[in-house]
Amino acid sequence: MKDGKHFFLVTSDAKLEGSLRALWPEEEVKWTCFARGSSALEFLFSEPPDLLVVDEQLPDLAGVDLVRLIKGENVYRQLPVVLCLASEDLAELQDFSTLEIDDFLVKPFSPPIAKGRLILAYHRSTRELDASPLTKLPGNTSIIHRIQDLIDRQEDFALVYIDLDHFKSFNDKYGFSRGDEVLLMTARVIVNSIRGFMGANTFVGHVGGDDFVFIVPREKAESACQQVIDNFDSIVPHFYDQEDRARGAIHSLDRKGKEQVFPLMAISIAVVLNRGGKLKHFGEASQIAMNLKKEAKKNPKSCYVMDKRASA
Amino acid sequence: MEEDLRTNQKGAILAVKDLPTLPGVLQEVAVLVENPNSSTDQISKAISKDQVLSAKVLKMVNSPIYGFPGRIGSIQHALVLLGFNVIKGIIISTSVFDVMNENMKGLWEHSLGCALASSAIARAIGCKDPEEYAVAGLLHDIGKVVAAVQLPESRAAIDALVLEKDISYRQAESEVLGFAHDRINLWLCNYWNLPANLKEGLSYHHRPMSATLYPKIAQVVHVGNFLARLFGVGNGGDNQVSALDEGVLEALEITPEVLFKIMDGLEREFVDLA
Repeated sequence: MKDGKHFFLVTSDAKLEGSLRALWPEEEVKWTCFARGSSALEFLFSEPPDLLVVDEQLPDLAGVDLVRLIKGENVYRQLPVVLCLASEDLAELQDFSTLEIDDFLVKPFSPPIAKGRLILAYHRSTRELDASPLTKLPGNTSIIHRIQDLIDRQEDFALVYIDLDHFKSFNDKYGFSRGDEVLLMTARVIVNSIRGFMGANTFVGHVGGDDFVFIVPREKAESACQQVIDNFDSIVPHFYDQEDRARGAIHSLDRKGKEQVFPLMAISIAVVLNRGGKLKHFGEASQIAMNLKKEAKKNPKSCYVMDKRASA
Repeated sequence: MEEDLRTNQKGAILAVKDLPTLPGVLQEVAVLVENPNSSTDQISKAISKDQVLSAKVLKMVNSPIYGFPGRIGSIQHALVLLGFNVIKGIIISTSVFDVMNENMKGLWEHSLGCALASSAIARAIGCKDPEEYAVAGLLHDIGKVVAAVQLPESRAAIDALVLEKDISYRQAESEVLGFAHDRINLWLCNYWNLPANLKEGLSYHHRPMSATLYPKIAQVVHVGNFLARLFGVGNGGDNQVSALDEGVLEALEITPEVLFKIMDGLEREFVDLA
């Protein structure tokens, strides 16, 4: 392992702390140890480490609950987490399929095993995922897979495509790093607006650039779209400079290099509905979506267009 | 990362560590966050009642982790962007200091009063986003809380000086620490990456005519603070009504008629507060 890694350990067990600290010399791995889950949380959210080791038995909350709080956020999903269990914990912890840990250790463990497991967990997390490097949301492979899976199972769902209007002119005027800020904001708005509709079939993905996708149950689609629009429209003005915001528009160059006035960014949403196994293939869904999006783009304000053929 | 703040007192240093918060509000927010039917509107209202929790939420959403530092100034927007999971995390990590509950309660009410007054003024003169003015009003004395909790001995010396010399809390702070809460606010804003308008509102509310980037927010909070003091809402640490800076009302184009109208409205709101 290269020098200068920063690992966090959450435990009130001095023996555990001692044995982990002994695994590497200080210059290779620096450990920060927290005795309580609550005191670790603030630092986890603001200065995430390279790897997190959590003791299941903490004085204030269960280790798995701490892990859920962290991993429930896409921002921290890449943080590798190793859980330390006593053997009696292992018997109780049945549901490893929903627990987002990367590995676990059973106390007492031998130092070489612990060392190997931690190195492995760290490297596994750094391998490339099918996730947008910017937003960390699932990317195209996962999106296509998810949609085709729902189609194959003939489930009813609403597939929602979102893209930004006038994003290019914003990027051109303010530069790509501020464009990225807007994309990150959009991702957060979608994720948190959709989270309110949690349940089966809920999914958010980032196709790339300013294109996003989400899936919700059919009957929730309209209110989900409306919430995304409301939240986006109220937040996006804050990403403009004072004078552009006051003016409600930016002066920028169009594709031909001519000066043009662009309104503030809005979002166009296309909603494809699958009902009674109507869709057979992922390609169909995206084809319908693209046609609907043209319709949505005609409206300069944020809006959504529903797949009418399905509601007939 | 921003350095800790060194005071005039020997060995007394301000460090941004765990900040205190009010248990009542904390509990209220925690219950709302657990309930799937709560709206972000309800939650942001509850959070807004607590300056420390508000500050933590804003600090988090403006941290580089989310990728848009220094852009978000309202609690409502912060909630939409952070989501309930992070809010839950912030609540768990926010330690509850009894000190705050016992000693700073009057200050909290004063801050709430200033928040109400600031947003009333902002609405009356047609500012966009009056809720950002309310946040600035709410947080305008946060530096006092941080100093009091972290340096209880200095706090005692400041209190004693206020009584002994009958001076303002801010003057006493300057004598004891070498600077006052508006300087502490600036330090906190930098540390937390808060948007520039909030930063100016918080660090220039005592010198509103010196603010350069967003003078309006500093001026509005200045007047809001004055009105909260005038109506005797809560306790800002001394018994004085803060002096109204010359030229502020003119700069904001607040005529006596407008001011009286604002005061009439506030009188009712302040009654609800009590």
